[in-house]
Amino acid sequence: MIIKKRKFTGGYTFKNFKGVPSDKFINLNIPEKVIIPLKQGFGNEVNATVKKGDSVTAGQIIGINDESISSPVHSTVNGTVEDIKKIEYSGKLINIVVIKSDGTPDFKPGGAETSGWKDLPEEKLEEVLYMAGVTSLGKSGIPTRYKSSAILPDEVEHIIIDGVQSDIYNLSLSLLFAGEGLNQFMEGIDVLKSIMPRASVHIAVNKYQKEIIKKIDESADNREINIYPLDPKYPQSYDEIIIPTILKREFPFGFKALNMGVIVLDIQAVLHVYEAAVLKKPLIERIIALTGPGFTENIHIKARIGTQLDYLIKNRVRPDTPLRYILNSPLWGDTVSDLSLPVDRTISCISSLIEDREGEAFSFARPGISKDSYSKTFVANYFPFKKTIDTNTHGEERACIFCNYCQDVCPSGLIPHLLYHYIERDIIDDILLRYRIFNCIDCNLCSYVCPSKINPAMYIKQGREKLIGMGIDQKESVLKRFKLKGVDENVKTGIKSK
Amino acid sequence: MKNLKERYEKLYKIKSLMRFKTIISTLEGIIFGTSEITAGAPHFVDNMDIKRYMSIAIIALIPSAAAAVYFFRLHAVELIIVSYISGGIAEVLFALIRKRDIEEGFLVTGLIFPLILPPSTPLWVASAGIIFGVIFGKELFGGTGRNIFNPALVGRLFVTISFPQIMTSSWQLPFVDTVTAATPLGLFKTAHVLTPYIKLLLGTSAGSMGETFRIGVIIGGLFLMFTRVSNWRIPFSYIGAVLLLSWLGNFFLPEKIAPPLFQLLSGGLLFGAMFMATDPVTSPYTLTGKLIFGFFAGIVTVLIRAFSGYSEGVMFSIVMMNGFTPLIDSFVISLKYRPLRNER
Repeated sequence: MIIKKRKFTGGYTFKNFKGVPSDKFINLNIPEKVIIPLKQGFGNEVNATVKKGDSVTAGQIIGINDESISSPVHSTVNGTVEDIKKIEYSGKLINIVVIKSDGTPDFKPGGAETSGWKDLPEEKLEEVLYMAGVTSLGKSGIPTRYKSSAILPDEVEHIIIDGVQSDIYNLSLSLLFAGEGLNQFMEGIDVLKSIMPRASVHIAVNKYQKEIIKKIDESADNREINIYPLDPKYPQSYDEIIIPTILKREFPFGFKALNMGVIVLDIQAVLHVYEAAVLKKPLIERIIALTGPGFTENIHIKARIGTQLDYLIKNRVRPDTPLRYILNSPLWGDTVSDLSLPVDRTISCISSLIEDREGEAFSFARPGISKDSYSKTFVANYFPFKKTIDTNTHGEERACIFCNYCQDVCPSGLIPHLLYHYIERDIIDDILLRYRIFNCIDCNLCSYVCPSKINPAMYIKQGREKLIGMGIDQKESVLKRFKLKGVDENVKTGIKSK
Repeated sequence: MKNLKERYEKLYKIKSLMRFKTIISTLEGIIFGTSEITAGAPHFVDNMDIKRYMSIAIIALIPSAAAAVYFFRLHAVELIIVSYISGGIAEVLFALIRKRDIEEGFLVTGLIFPLILPPSTPLWVASAGIIFGVIFGKELFGGTGRNIFNPALVGRLFVTISFPQIMTSSWQLPFVDTVTAATPLGLFKTAHVLTPYIKLLLGTSAGSMGETFRIGVIIGGLFLMFTRVSNWRIPFSYIGAVLLLSWLGNFFLPEKIAPPLFQLLSGGLLFGAMFMATDPVTSPYTLTGKLIFGFFAGIVTVLIRAFSGYSEGVMFSIVMMNGFTPLIDSFVISLKYRPLRNER
């Protein structure tokens, strides 16, 4: 069933940019060495089950912890364990397993069962998914009875699959659905549905991909699936925005989608579920897009998890200019300075932008054929010229003039410049709570549009951290108003004792 | 270009010029663009900056300014130049004292101010007005972004009160140097004469330099709204309130209150609503607040035009509502954000 005309207020549509990945797709050769972090994504770190010198096969579990919320981690190549050591990875000190590969591409299928997934009992199917590692996908995982997530599968009411493509760079939907992709996707949904029988399935798709919407609708057959063609307006894909848009329910800011009984997955995650359940293939490789003007070619690459970034992007970057590499979207992703780090399960794009310290002469007076702007003052706002991005701030920092752009684009209904004025003067108290500082979802749009080149998102983040340091947050009032699931007991008792 | 920039940067090494560092760095920003890069997410930002923001406002003022020059020839040019130079000096002096870059907002103030002066204003009066406006309207509050009142209007108010003879009685007609006449609003007040609408639209009636060519004002104002440099809410509610109240008022008190369309097309209403009430710094930032601001400014305008000693009330109404801006904002915000339940 196609449900139209759902939208949210605020936001900004990024369209017509250079560096959007084409449908070209290559399989990366098996790298000589992979680095597998034992914490990937939201879960806790797992314990290594291999030692230095062990020989491992691709698909073999090398890290597992059944006691805490986590999913197993696999070796993604055949070879030997070279080292296990602690390094700093995405801001935390965690263990990594370094595996030297022998270059063979085959992998060990998980599970001994030869029967199809439909014949498996629920418990077995959950085990298959858990052991394949796919339960770690999404912002808070796919629930199973193996502690892969904070709630149980029965508590899931809605599964939302997000193909809105609201970010500036996205994986190509037509590529993911090419060939058998769409049928596999549908079967993946069937798998999810059979472990979460109470859940209804919602698919959100970029509304300009009319062909794909039609195909999804046709192949949905008599499955009960709601399809929502949505405007690809950033940050539609954020849990905090997509859930109110689709389910028309208020979001308990400060908690996760999961606590509402909703899980949000992207399309690739569903395809991984299919692979795990039907092909018995553990989560060892991913499709990653090389995006942004820094690459000579913007393509999709299927690479083993743990592949080092420099191996992945080798010979594909512009050699003539300094570049900045960003994991995932340039709107919210982190900079990577060390290219020997690996790609993990959470990465779907690597963006590279030109580090532009040069500036442009009289840039404010130019017509702007390839410049993007929220204000409609550049030629590129009116003609379909491809726009380009770089890391220059395109202007000096100035005082806030209350132009209201940040308020207009804020998808959570905040007034970012108001919060900025308080935090900049170091007035950190309950008043920020009243102005809903904790409803900020870190989409960074306010910093994107600011003509005074202030970074309100950064100030809001600082203010929130300071407030939490002072023991002030809005969890208590949110807990009172919502019936939430899987909320940590520590959080509840912590609030009561206050 | 790179070469030039390197040469320019050598200026920073000359000790005697260090007193004027802010001027050098401001010029560098204008000529070469910035070399700053983003610190983290978002890794790329909008191409719009304050320089372009203000440039767009100036472009929107071009029809009015061109009409002023066309109607009043050399004197209009002189007034604009004098306004830019004397106001610019005040602005730069404050920037030097404060050791901060010169704010671009002055470029708009410096152009709006001469456009709201009567055409026969002596140059020294214009100079005094803009200097007063920049200093007392803006810099004393802490510069752009912190001022409460629109600096151009503060300057205009100052000269109106200080030099009433020059400012209110001598309105010069376009193309003729000597003949003076009353403004359409003045004519209505004293003789109950309605100037034809076509004359008002084309600008061949008496009035301030930039406000009389109303077709150009409307085009410029729409351009501003379309490019998102100004918000449609204030002109909409301002003009709406004037039309509504004058329609009602004209119905009951036709002697005192002029009909709606005449109110709309006379005096500085369109110019004020499009270019001055929409000044983002001095008008409310909340969306509802903008509507409230415009509505009350409209009411005050009609009341002043009808019942006060002045025939025009746009300037007073906007300055008055500027004063109310913080109050309107905090009122709207207290309604919008109800306290959370656990707030202490």
